[in-house]
Formats: sequence, structure tokens, C-alpha cells
Amino acid sequence: MQDQLREAARQAQTAIAACQTNNDILNARAQFLGKKSLVNSLYSKLKDLPDAEKPAFGQLINDLRSELEKLLAQREKELKEQQRLQQDASKAQDLSLPGIMPGRGSLHPLTVVRREIEDIFMAMGFEIAEGPDIEDEFHNFDALNTPQDHPSRNLADTFYLENGLLLRTQTSTVQVRTMESFAPPIRIISPGRCYRNDKPDPSHSPVFHQVEALAVDKHLSMADLKDTLQNFARLMFGAGMKSRIRPHFFPFTEPSAEMDISCVSCGGHGCRICKNSGWLELGGAGMVDPAVLKTLGIDPEIWSGFALGMGIERIAMLKYNIPDMRILFENDVRALRQFSGESL
Amino acid sequence: MIISSRILGHYIDLPAELEQLVHTLTFSGIEVEAIKEIPELPPTVISARIISTEPVPDSNHLTKCMVDHGGPEPIQVVCGAPNCREGLVSALALPGTKLGDFTIKPTKLRGVESFGMLASEREMGISDNHAGIVEFAADTPVGISVNELYELPDAILELEITPNRPDLLGYVGIARDLSASLNLPLKEPVIQKLEGEKQCDMGLKLVVEDPEKCLRYTARLMEGVTVKESPQWLKTALIKSGLRPINNIVDVTNFVMFELGQPLHAFNYEKLRPLSLQDVQPAIVVRKARAGEKFEALDGKSLELDEADLVIADGQEASALAGVIGGMASSIDENTHRIVLESACFQSTTVRASSTKHKVSTDSSYRFERQLSPFAAETVSHRAVELILETAGGKLCGDLYDAFEQVPEPLRLTLRPQRFEELIGYRLSPQEITRYLEALDCKLVQENPDGMVFQIPHRRVDLTREADLLEELARLAGYDRIPSRTSISGIMDRHAFKNRRKIEDWFVQAAFHEALNFSFSDPAQYEALGLSTADVQDRLLKLVNPQSSNQSVMRISLLPQLLENLRHNLHHGERDLKLMEIGKIYCNVKGKIEEKLVLTAVMTGKAQAEHWLQKSEAVGLWYVKGLVEGLLQSMGLPITETKEHSQPWLAPGDNLAWLNNGRICASFGRLKTQTAENFDIDLGILKQEIWVLELDIDLIAELTRDRETVFRDLPRYPAVTRDLSFVIQTSVPYSQIREAIQAVAPELISEVQIFDQYLGESIPQGFRSVSLRLKLLDREKTLTDERVDELLASVREMLSRTWQIKMR
Ligand SMILES: [Zn+2]
Repeated sequence: MQDQLREAARQAQTAIAACQTNNDILNARAQFLGKKSLVNSLYSKLKDLPDAEKPAFGQLINDLRSELEKLLAQREKELKEQQRLQQDASKAQDLSLPGIMPGRGSLHPLTVVRREIEDIFMAMGFEIAEGPDIEDEFHNFDALNTPQDHPSRNLADTFYLENGLLLRTQTSTVQVRTMESFAPPIRIISPGRCYRNDKPDPSHSPVFHQVEALAVDKHLSMADLKDTLQNFARLMFGAGMKSRIRPHFFPFTEPSAEMDISCVSCGGHGCRICKNSGWLELGGAGMVDPAVLKTLGIDPEIWSGFALGMGIERIAMLKYNIPDMRILFENDVRALRQFSGESL
Repeated sequence: MIISSRILGHYIDLPAELEQLVHTLTFSGIEVEAIKEIPELPPTVISARIISTEPVPDSNHLTKCMVDHGGPEPIQVVCGAPNCREGLVSALALPGTKLGDFTIKPTKLRGVESFGMLASEREMGISDNHAGIVEFAADTPVGISVNELYELPDAILELEITPNRPDLLGYVGIARDLSASLNLPLKEPVIQKLEGEKQCDMGLKLVVEDPEKCLRYTARLMEGVTVKESPQWLKTALIKSGLRPINNIVDVTNFVMFELGQPLHAFNYEKLRPLSLQDVQPAIVVRKARAGEKFEALDGKSLELDEADLVIADGQEASALAGVIGGMASSIDENTHRIVLESACFQSTTVRASSTKHKVSTDSSYRFERQLSPFAAETVSHRAVELILETAGGKLCGDLYDAFEQVPEPLRLTLRPQRFEELIGYRLSPQEITRYLEALDCKLVQENPDGMVFQIPHRRVDLTREADLLEELARLAGYDRIPSRTSISGIMDRHAFKNRRKIEDWFVQAAFHEALNFSFSDPAQYEALGLSTADVQDRLLKLVNPQSSNQSVMRISLLPQLLENLRHNLHHGERDLKLMEIGKIYCNVKGKIEEKLVLTAVMTGKAQAEHWLQKSEAVGLWYVKGLVEGLLQSMGLPITETKEHSQPWLAPGDNLAWLNNGRICASFGRLKTQTAENFDIDLGILKQEIWVLELDIDLIAELTRDRETVFRDLPRYPAVTRDLSFVIQTSVPYSQIREAIQAVAPELISEVQIFDQYLGESIPQGFRSVSLRLKLLDREKTLTDERVDELLASVREMLSRTWQIKMR
């Protein structure tokens, strides 16, 4: 009897393992566990056993029965998983074919740089102020301490309209307008278009973009100016960037300075681009001239301020290694496309 | 921590307005987490004594009472409270009294007449207690307004006391802080040490085994006390501070805890055993619990202690879990005549650990979990002794037992006034500094060039550095005094800034390349657009010194330059082009100069990048319209009408403008072949169309300025969709059909969408077949099939009534 049991178990295990379809499983179940199965026939043999052995043998049959149920269920699950896997199988594809990409547009590199400058200064607590492109002489020159006979007022330098107004030559006009309407403390930047009567060449354009920063507060010093410049240089061009200021002259700042950053091309070792100096000129800066503050009704005894300005074209050209400013106004998509990664 | 503002008012004159008090607390760093106002009761709610009771027949809980309320005759009241008994002084609401929404009327209960109501605390809005009618102290006179007995109206405040401020854990502490910030005198209770009887047969053996966990332990012995209910003022104070009155001794310890912030405990002296049989004197031993030591707490819980717990034991077993809860065995009951009054200070971490481990949280553990100062223990004890003598009588035995030796000198801190200005941002005069700090008992002991030297009271365990004093001053003077030095002054138009960026990004995502062109233009180009010279002449701003004739005026449109950009790129073999520019145009409007920010986009070729698997459609009417619609919809622009956008450069028919009250926000159209040719682009050869889109950025910013995205709760019921197909005259615009359908049931038809349109053989001339998908949604309840069918039937009815359509 024990042998029969063992034999039945062995046979069933082999048969279950060999099942390949759901049908096979059904057949195997009928064969080993059904009415006419071997296992069932073993039950009928129970009555022939001595009473003492009946419970133990009965238990053995029951164990065999549940063992086979388990095996069948397991095999059934395996087959199901195999079928699922087949359903999922890929139809052989040439994966070197291009996928479907969402369209890629781009912001103009000058917009990219303008936005970055805006973000950096906003993070430093500056607000963005804007003003008109078409200005009067007061806001563009007089209020900024420009002498009446200063050459920058000439037709050769400044565009004038027939109605006597002019196209602003710098966004300092916005600083003037802001100080006219708002009391200090003030921290603004003014990005925008400027116009100077320069013939287009690799480094000049009659229409260009500028950002100026102005801070007016108590206790502001050259140290704050240097700090702002250094922070800007680092955030705009990278952690290792150095900056410095050199004495210079502008009518509306006193003292005035020119701002340099380490050469983005050679990192300060000296190269063709920086004419071996290791430095690149970024723009002008200085402490707002007390006369300018006074003109605008701000008491220079209480308030002091610094201003700095730079050209967006120049920064874009330095940052992206663009050789000629005129490229920026050509709007050639072969150029524009290269900035799609900057617009994400 | 729960406090009553009326009780707080015993210690300082409070501002008249509750709002002012809450503001002052909040801005001095004491957050008010909840406010519960208890309104004044009508004058017809008075104290009354139950002089006789008898059960109401046929009721197992109603009692008929005769009540003396101070009137000429007692009145009859039926009461259902379990504690209704003869002799009780309770609160009676006379007929006509309005309590909440409920007006008391003479009534009959089970046939017994009742002329008033005996009320519970909850019924009068005093607390949540509704276990029975109010029990006033037995000596309370009858006929007195309950407002007087409960000090009403009142406001119960739940305060959050930060962990660094254990000195604020009582009424006096809060009042002291307020006195500093409000510059008002503190009305501190006068506490004196009372001498005990020298001749006294009580004695105590006090052993503090663990001085690290027990920073100070004092005990005072009293005999002959009468344990009974508390006087009404004490009951009221406890109830309003969130505790139930128990008896005069326990109530006094709790009240002093609420008043001075340090918990106390009273033991039944008679239940304390000596250390050994040889000893006569009962003992108090402050020691670590033995591992597995059993302790039955006052709340009935049996706790199994371990060596991390600190206990107050008698000679044998734990009598209290230090700082957390007392024990049942040594508790005070009406048979107690001799007591030991404990006033101690325990280590906060030990108390916190025991409280957490045994899940027992009490007003005592709440306070000891913040490290209290051991210096208060003695004063606190004196205060409790005074009140026990007042409410329970008896006499004081001997001196204070006090196991506290080192009395270090109070800390002295130097404060530099200019440091305050440097750190906080404004100047505070030395006079002001002194006033604020002295109100907190920080005495100015010296003034020298280095600064002002203050002596810090022991209770202020949190003041250990100059920075702490500076913070204290900033807090008391009010953070609203700190000037704002940020430059964010409203100069920036943040909305316009964001609006521009959103629109830029929208076009970049739609695969446009941004172009930037000069602000100058060639007047001849406007003619090329088809505008007559006369049309533009007045609007043009001319330069005096242009660099060339084709840059002689300020641009009044971005289109000509963009068309030049298109030509440039087409010449370089680019066929699929989408360009846009955001920039200013400059117009002379009747002598005034107008600078306006606009966007213009030009498109030609494929709308999407070509792909080997799916052919891309060319840029066309529906692509461009969708581009504008998508943008306007996402920005939530209020459009009042759409109409034809006829411009000399746009082909008739294929164009549209979106307007808000007559002003054009957006427009688009197909460029005329002739206009393209004027710009040197031969559409015939190219076999492409050019489409133009224009947005008024400034106007869009103006119209969206106040728009906010407001989240709407998600519908709780699923939406149902139903399709509807019918044939209708082509002359009826889709928008009209959609609006008419939506108008049938605006609250239920949440969406109408067209998903098919057919004009073909089977459809008669002048008609089209449209298929619409309706999304039906009821936010209140599930839409039943019947309701949906009804709804669709009325939509069909409306359609056939309005346009005589046939359903398909
Ligand atoms: Zn270099």
C-alpha cells in the first residue's frame, strides 16, 4: 500500500510538471484527483486495512491529495505567468529608429540671459522696474548729471525723434524714474532696450539690451557694490568666477568704477579673448553721485546708493561664445535652435 | 494650557477687548490656539437651594423638587439629574430664560408641573460637563446671579507655552509677561512665610536619595484640617481652568499650580509609614522605583514601575510617581485630618519619561516636563499653606522641611543697548530696556561703559546669554516695531512680469523659436502689408538721424520683420518655421506716444516635427486657433466676443479675433499670397501657407491681473457621459449649439464637446451632422438613469424647438 501511494505521488508529480496548457491541467486534475483517480481508489482500499492502521494511512492519502492540489495550483499559476509574458513580448523593433519627440522651441539667447540676470537679482532682493524706450533729455541726461555740452548728447551718438524726444541710451532712465516716484530704500534692476548711433559691427549694434541695478539705502558703501557684483558674477558664470572694480569716470556716479570678471575663456590665465590680461570688462558701476540723489529729492546725507550696469549682448556672447553681435539679430533658426536647451 | 481670561484679570488689568488681549499674547510669543467665549447668562439664571425632593410617579429618573430661589415662595421644579438632592445649591433658570436656542417655559412632566429648570454646566455654556446639575458650594446664598458665581462673561483661552518658558505655566507668569508688554502693574498675590507651631507631635523623616532627579523637595506638615468641598471662588477657578473640583485640600494644590505654575501634592499623613519598626516618624523617601514595584495611581490605574521612574515613597512603598500622579493609598479623603504638603522640583526628562512610558498625562506632568526652577518651591508651599488654612482650617506644624542646600547667586548678564539696534534693527532707549526687563524681575544692578548689567530671576531658566535678553526685549516691544528694511516696495509689476514669462514659455513649448528684431523699421514695409500711407503716416514716429532709410521709423508692428526673418530662413532651406517675437511697438496716438508690448508669431510648414511613423499636418486653421484658444483658456482670459479679423494682409474668411469689451486680445489669420510676395516669399512655389498670430501682452496682463486659481472640491459623484448626434443647418454656429445645450441645465451639464462633424452624401445641402459628447455631473447626488434620460429629452426638445433638427 505504501508503495502504491509513493508510486501514485511520483507519477502525478511528473505529469503535473509536464502540463503545458490549461487543458493539460484539467486533465491532470481529473486523472489524479477525480472520481476515478488513483488517489480516490486508494480511499476504497482503506477498509481492507486493519483498524489500527486506518487513521495513519487515511492521513497519508489526505496529505497526498492536498500536496497534489498545491502542485496543480502552482503549475497553473506558472502557465498563466508564461502566457502573460508571451502577450507582453515585443515585436522585434529597430531601436535605432528615432522616437517621437515633443517639439522643441527656444527662447532667444538674449531672453535667456535677461531672465537669468533677473532671477539672480530677484534672489538678491531686487525688484524689476521698467520704463519707456522713448525718453526726454531730462531723464536720459540732465538728471544723470550729464553736462549740456557732453558729446553723448550729439546726433552722432544718440537717436532723436522728430518730436524732440530721444531713444534712451541707457536704462539709467528707469533708475531716475523710480527715484522720482518711490522713496528709498530702493533695490531695482532695469532690463531693457537701449539705442546708440553705432554702426553695426561684431561688437556694436545700434539697438542693444542693458541691465542696470540700483540700490539706495542707509549705510550703503562701495563694499556693498563689490559684494553685489561678486555674487552676480558667481551666480551667472560659475562658482570660481572672480570679479574686481577699477577706477573710471561716469558723470552720474562718484566714485565710478569699471567692473571686470575673470576671463570666461581662459579662466584668468590669459588668452586672445582677454588680450592676455585674464580679465574681461563687464560694465560700469559706482556710488550714485550725491548731486543725482539731490536732483531727485533724496537727501544724500541720509541715503547712499550704488548703481551698476552691463550689456546683455556682451554677457550672452561671453557665455555662449558667440563671435559677432549681429548674429543675435539675424533670427536664423539654425542659430536659435542651439538655445532650445537653455529655454527648458 | 487652559486659562480663563477673567481669572487672569485678577492678576493684571486686562485690555477691554478680548481681541486686544489675544493680539498682545500672540505678539509676545504666547500663541493662542483656541478661544472659547462664555457669554453672559440672562439675569433670570440664579442660585437656588433644593429644599425638598420626592420622586415623580411613573418615572425612574425624574424628581419633583421644591426650590428656594430667594423669592417669597419656593417654586416647584421637575429635574432629571442624578445628583438632584435635598440641600443642594444649584443653578435655576426661571421661566422665560433663553439658554442657547432653548427657552424655558412652565411645563408638565409626567403630569407634574415644573416652573423652571435646574441646569448643568453644559446647558449654561460653561463647560462640557453634563453629568448632573451644577453644585455650588453649600454656603452659597440663594437668589444670586450665576454670572456672579461663575464670573461671566468670560473667555477661555488655550495657550501654547513654548518649552523654553516654564515661567509661563501659571496665571501669575502670564500676567507678569503681559505687565511687561502692556506696561501695566502686576497684581501679584502677597505671599508670606507662616510660622508653624513649635510644639507639635507630628514629625517626618525626609530622605532624598536621588538629588539629580529631584532638584528640590520641601514638605510641610499640617494637622486638624477639615476636608470638605471648596468655597465657590475656588471651584469656579478650577472649572474654568479645565479641572473638576474634588475637595478643598486637593483643590488648593491644583489652584496654586494654576496660579504659580508649579505643581504640588498633598499626602494623607496618617497613611505614611515609617522606615522601620523602630522609627516612630513616618517617612518620605524620594528614590528610584524598584524594578517591578507596583503602584496604584489616583486615577485607579495599576502601574508597574522600573528603576528609571522616580517615586515619592513612604517607609515601605511608592506613594506617588514623582511629578506625574499621586497614589491611591495616601490620598486625601474626608477622614483625613493630618497632611503632608509637598512642593518639589523634579528633573524634566525623568517626568517626561515616566509620563510617556505609563501613558499618564496630568496637569502636573505637563508642567514638570518643562524644566521648572527649584527656587519657586518654597514660595509655592507658603501660598498653598495659606489657602489651606483659609479653606480647611487646622494648624501648621513646625518649619518647612527642605532638602535644598546650594543657593547659587542669581545670574548676571550684560546687555549692550547698541547691540539691540544692530541685531533687531531699531533703537531702544536704556530707559525702555530697563522698564521691560524690570517688569520681568530682571533687576538693573549696574550700568557701565560695557553695557547694562541685569540680575536674572531664578525662574527665568531660559535667560542665560545677552542674546536671550535681546530676544526678550524684541518680543516685549513687539515685532511690529521692527522696521522693514527690505526693498520689496511694490515698484515691480510682478503680475506683468509673470504674464510675459508664461506667454513666452507657452510658445517655446509649442516649439516656436523666439526672434528679436530692431525697434526701427522701414515705412515701405507697412505698404507691403497693404496699409495705405495715409493710414500709417500719423502713427509713425520718425527718427531725425536714422542710420538708413529702411530704419527710419519706430516700428508699429512686429510682422514685417518677422516676415523678413521667415524669408531669410526659407532662403537657407528651412521649410518648417515657427517664429515669434515679444517686443514693444511704438505709436504716435494723436500726439501721445504709446509703447505697447505685443507678441506676433508667424508659422509655415509642418505643425509638428516630421516623423517616420506618423505624418505631420501642415500648420493650418485649427492648429493656430487651438494655439490661441489653449493659451487664453489656461490664462483664464475673459473673452466677451469673437469676430472676424479683417486686415489688409490676411486672407478673408480664415481669420478670427478674440475681444474683451471691444478691445482685441488675440487674433490670427492666414497671410495673403500677395502680401507674402510683397515680402519676396512665393507661396505658389513653396506650396505652403503662412499663418500669423498676434497677442496684446499688456492687455492680457491687465485682464488677468486679479485672476486666481481657486481649487474646487472634487465631485463626490461620478460624471456620466452621453453622446448626441443630429443634423443641423450649417448656418448655426457650433458655439451657439453648445451654449444652448449648456443653458438647458447649467448646473448639471458640465461639458459639451464636439467629437465628430460630417458633411457628405447622405446629408442634405446646407446641413451638417454633428456628434456631441455631454458630460453630466451632479455635485450634490448621484445622477440616476431617469434623471439623465429626462435631461437628454429636454436637450433634444430644445434642439428641435429652436432649430427644427432631427435626431440621428
Ligand atoms: Zn582669457
